[in-house]
Amino acid sequence: MRRSALVRGLLYLGLLLLTVFYLLPLWGALTTSLKTDAEVDTTNPLSFPQRPTFEPYGAAFSYLRRPLLNSLLITLGGTLGSVALGAMCGYVLANFRFKYDNLVFLLITVGIFLPFQAILIPLFQTIRSLGLYDSVLGLILAHTAYGIPMCTLMFRVFYGELPSSLVKQALTDGSGPWRTYLKVVLPSTKIATVTVLIFQFTSIWNELLFGLVIGGPRSMPATVALNNLAGTLAAQWNVQMAGSMLLAIPVLLLYIFLGRYLIRGYMAGSVTAT
Amino acid sequence: MARLSGWFTRHPLWVLVIPLGLVAYFVYGGLLWNFWVSVSDWRGLVPSYSFRGFDHYARLFSDPVFWTSLKNTAILFFTIPLCILLGLGVAVLLDQGLLGSTVFRNLYLLPFALSFVVTGTIWAWMYNPTSGIINTLLRSIGLGALQGTWHTSQRTVMGSIILALVWQFSGYAALVLLAGIRSVPEVQIKAAMLEGASKFRIYRKIVFPQLRGAIATTIVVVMMYALRSFDFIWVLTGGGPGYASHTLPIMMYKEAFQATRFAYGSAIASVLLVLVLLILVPYLYRTYRRGK
Repeated sequence: MRRSALVRGLLYLGLLLLTVFYLLPLWGALTTSLKTDAEVDTTNPLSFPQRPTFEPYGAAFSYLRRPLLNSLLITLGGTLGSVALGAMCGYVLANFRFKYDNLVFLLITVGIFLPFQAILIPLFQTIRSLGLYDSVLGLILAHTAYGIPMCTLMFRVFYGELPSSLVKQALTDGSGPWRTYLKVVLPSTKIATVTVLIFQFTSIWNELLFGLVIGGPRSMPATVALNNLAGTLAAQWNVQMAGSMLLAIPVLLLYIFLGRYLIRGYMAGSVTAT
Repeated sequence: MARLSGWFTRHPLWVLVIPLGLVAYFVYGGLLWNFWVSVSDWRGLVPSYSFRGFDHYARLFSDPVFWTSLKNTAILFFTIPLCILLGLGVAVLLDQGLLGSTVFRNLYLLPFALSFVVTGTIWAWMYNPTSGIINTLLRSIGLGALQGTWHTSQRTVMGSIILALVWQFSGYAALVLLAGIRSVPEVQIKAAMLEGASKFRIYRKIVFPQLRGAIATTIVVVMMYALRSFDFIWVLTGGGPGYASHTLPIMMYKEAFQATRFAYGSAIASVLLVLVLLILVPYLYRTYRRGK
């Protein structure tokens, strides 16, 4: 069907209006983050500063430096832990039949929907009695444990897409489950691994609640610190926006360069419903 | 999948011990433990686990803050139809085969990738009544009369939260719905076009009815978020002004970790869990049966 230029123009207008809707808050945050205190008070928030300054970034970074490092360690540890353990579950559940295998899968995946408030007090007590309160390690443990359900679901979906004859062949050729996994499954599902890694990285990096509850001054992730920053510097919007940008940058970079995988992760994460 | 014999079938299960142990302890152990706290006599910082009874639940049901939180949790459900309607519109627009559609889709999905702490901080600046982005924008285009107090007034705070959440989630809805539209077999659409059906009719009669799965996904994802909403609201309003944007997760966090009423907080968490299960069980039952 051929469309008239008018219709095409209107469709593009719609796409552009939507772009404004979705990007306007981010644009406002970017422009504000590049302004001096005086400019924030006197100029339109959406106008790009005449002379962009990075001072707000300096101020935000000096406050967020340690928390950003904490976030990085927590995120790397939690991502590796949950992805490794979830991959094991996904591999076994996708390739081996055993009694109650479906029930085990169900019981694991229920964890995806868990309202974290319902385990928060036990988590807090457990971490405290392990002596891990206010430690990066405690947060890694929490993110590993509660990340397993989502990772298991995603890996089972991705490993399930592998031709089962491939795995069966390797197993009947005499290589054990471990060897089969390392030599056959892992090399042929690299994209799946990258997808889950990126998905977990962004979810853990973005998370607030565990940091609030079992983190403290020493182990505080950047999400908690940014929220505290808003409380202490109520008026300095440029510093708050710069802090938001600093927290968003790793995710933005992943989104720009590996967005394909992240989007695949979003789709796989919702696969149970379809 | 092959039914494998011998030790192959048993051996790999050992791999499951650590992850299953963690899930069993942290998820299921945690849930039981939380329930036990809610019927215990734990007061103050030092845990105490003697049975006290269901007093905390009785108190909860006569606590006006609980009913406000429950009401707000329900109000957040309005995010669902708004996300689906906007997402469907966006998905149809992206399905028109225009150049750059994928780029636009990725731009619309960008807010969904960001932390609620980032978006909450940014929306606090958007909504700031004096010099914030929205009110300044309205003034500068001569619509100063439409300026609002947004998240800072009791009357508009929930609406403001919903608007921001629609902004953050509708791109995701569009992604899932677009994938649903694309999965409609092309033969069906071609056949309808040959018979001279209009584009509008094709969407209404052929495409939309096949989006049931995609819509169910969106509903479940957004609804689970609405029930478990904490991060965004905590950063934007902290549950205020007053109790105006308290939801069950916010109330639980404040009671347990700010007021150190752990037993009361765990009772709130148990109610929240029951609400989640009410929605989840039928849905999981369906998935589980399909899996078999």
